[in-house]
Amino acid sequence: MLTKLPVIAALTAQDIVVASEPTWLQQWRQAAWQHVNEGAAPLWRRTDLTAFALADMEFSATTSTSQLGSAIPDGVVVMPLSQAVREHGDLVKAHLGSAVAFNSSKYAALNAATWRDGWFVYVPKNHEASVPLHLLQGFGASNTLVARNLVVLERGAQLSLIEQYAGDGGPFAVVASELILGDGATLQYTSMQTWGATVHHMGHQVAKVGNDATIVWTAVNTGAAHQHIDAETNLVGNGSRVNWTAATVAGEGQRLLTAPWLRHVGRATEAHMDFKTVVKGSGYATFDGMIKIEGGSTDTVTRLEEHALHLSPQARSDSIPGLKIDTNNVQKAGHASTSGEVDDEQLFYMQARGIPKSDAVHMIVMGFFESVLDRIPLDTLREQVTADIAARI
Amino acid sequence: MELVIKDLHANIGDKEILKGVNLTVTPGTIHAIMGPNGSGKSTLSNTIMGHPAYTVTSGEVWYKGQNVLELPVDERAKLGLFLAFQYPVSIPGVTVANFLRAAVNAHRSVAGKDTRETAIPMAQYRKDIREKMAALGVDDSFARRYLNDGFSGGEKKRIEILQMSMLKPSMAIMDETDSGLDIDALKVVSQGVNTLLTQNPEMGVLVITHYQRLLNYIKPNRVSVMMEGRIVREGGAELALELEERGYDFIREEVFGNAN
Repeated sequence: MLTKLPVIAALTAQDIVVASEPTWLQQWRQAAWQHVNEGAAPLWRRTDLTAFALADMEFSATTSTSQLGSAIPDGVVVMPLSQAVREHGDLVKAHLGSAVAFNSSKYAALNAATWRDGWFVYVPKNHEASVPLHLLQGFGASNTLVARNLVVLERGAQLSLIEQYAGDGGPFAVVASELILGDGATLQYTSMQTWGATVHHMGHQVAKVGNDATIVWTAVNTGAAHQHIDAETNLVGNGSRVNWTAATVAGEGQRLLTAPWLRHVGRATEAHMDFKTVVKGSGYATFDGMIKIEGGSTDTVTRLEEHALHLSPQARSDSIPGLKIDTNNVQKAGHASTSGEVDDEQLFYMQARGIPKSDAVHMIVMGFFESVLDRIPLDTLREQVTADIAARI
Repeated sequence: MELVIKDLHANIGDKEILKGVNLTVTPGTIHAIMGPNGSGKSTLSNTIMGHPAYTVTSGEVWYKGQNVLELPVDERAKLGLFLAFQYPVSIPGVTVANFLRAAVNAHRSVAGKDTRETAIPMAQYRKDIREKMAALGVDDSFARRYLNDGFSGGEKKRIEILQMSMLKPSMAIMDETDSGLDIDALKVVSQGVNTLLTQNPEMGVLVITHYQRLLNYIKPNRVSVMMEGRIVREGGAELALELEERGYDFIREEVFGNAN
């Protein structure tokens, strides 16, 4: 029997509460729900908010389709977040909402209030996970996926984590990832948005990086019709580091926006960002980034590169990099940006070696992404994504 | 087959650079084009190969029965023309090995045939490239490096000659190959070209250079002097020596008079 699911906009505060959850979580959800209803709509000029209308989103009280694409590495706790609320309540309570605050946007609030899906990943102190963990998220019965991942690495822990959104359906995904890195921890974080072509993806990702901890963040965004991802690395610890790269492909009919925020808070923090974008057909990609160096962040090193290749005259990319410095002790801050068609000199050179123009374009574009795709830790996944991108350009 | 250039005129933007070049390069000869900076030498080589920045306004370039100016760039290469670049570009993310394999396979491809049938077997390719790299004193590790990315001037030129020896052109155009090379690199590069000539005596070579120095190592049979977009003088190897001794001014005076 099919029953019609309620739309999120029609829910009451009672509907979103899970009776079996502890009081603190029920109250947190309700506070978030209040923000959904009373908070202002986000001022995102480059994201079409009508593609994310709450009146169109269905609510399902049951969990759906969180899967594992790999085995669980020895010594790492991996379970649905809802289960972790029962089994690791203290850990969840200590960290949930500490990276992605529900009042950061209406959609972050929506996620906090109504999540049912998603994972809890916990790596104990000084434990080095030996193999990559692959979390795979698809759609369930409802047209809206609300999933939340909470990833906690204790002091000195190491993990390679792949978080992938893949498949058709929906079309609405409102997801959040909180990554908490304890002192000296190392996280290789590969976040992949490879949805089918009709999905509307709203993502929030925040990494909080402890003293001398390192995050190596590789983002791959190739799917969806609409994407808005607020991504943040918060270098809160002294000596914390991020090496952040991204590959985005926006083809026919796609509007993909990434808004990366980089916060230098601790002393002697270091960041390298290298974001690469290819737009084709009527595709439109936006890089709306901000680097903020806080007053207490001395001896900072920060470098941002963003490059976009246009494969058709109608394709568009916007780049809005911002830099705000509140300290007078920056060691190095650099920025480089390019945007345009495939370089004529490169094309001529390859053609002069007998390589036909279309093959040459193909090789140049795949070469452009090589340094990003090369970092995908699982061979089969890397080959699959590389082939998918190759087929689309 | 001869490469025959007939009354070639070419522009960059609105500026005419080639003002009626006539030149024939015969197979099995090394034909040097010498000339001062700005005389149009590099424009000539780029125009023959089809660089998009140059517009041909009139003239023809015949090779193997075709006016190559009517062919796309890659077809000119497949016809046997090879341009060793003065400033080889870097292509990040594309390794030397993968690039050259694509180039070799493009040369081997045949219209209407599956490229999997015509492609060079991997083992054969590895053997070929290893041998040729060794002969040019290029370290094995270069095969896995991104093409020309962070290479020194000398390394880039060796990679150009490596490509030439893998693709075995019947007509090679060498554009200022000596620029930026120290004497040791110049010797290695010249030796590479001479080895190729020994293996393929029918190859024609058009050597474009500003200085006589390169011609000590790659000995020309013919020398043409280019000035202000035209070939103004032709001779044998002795002409290069005369230019080395006397500079270009005496020819300029003979051709254009002493007006300025």
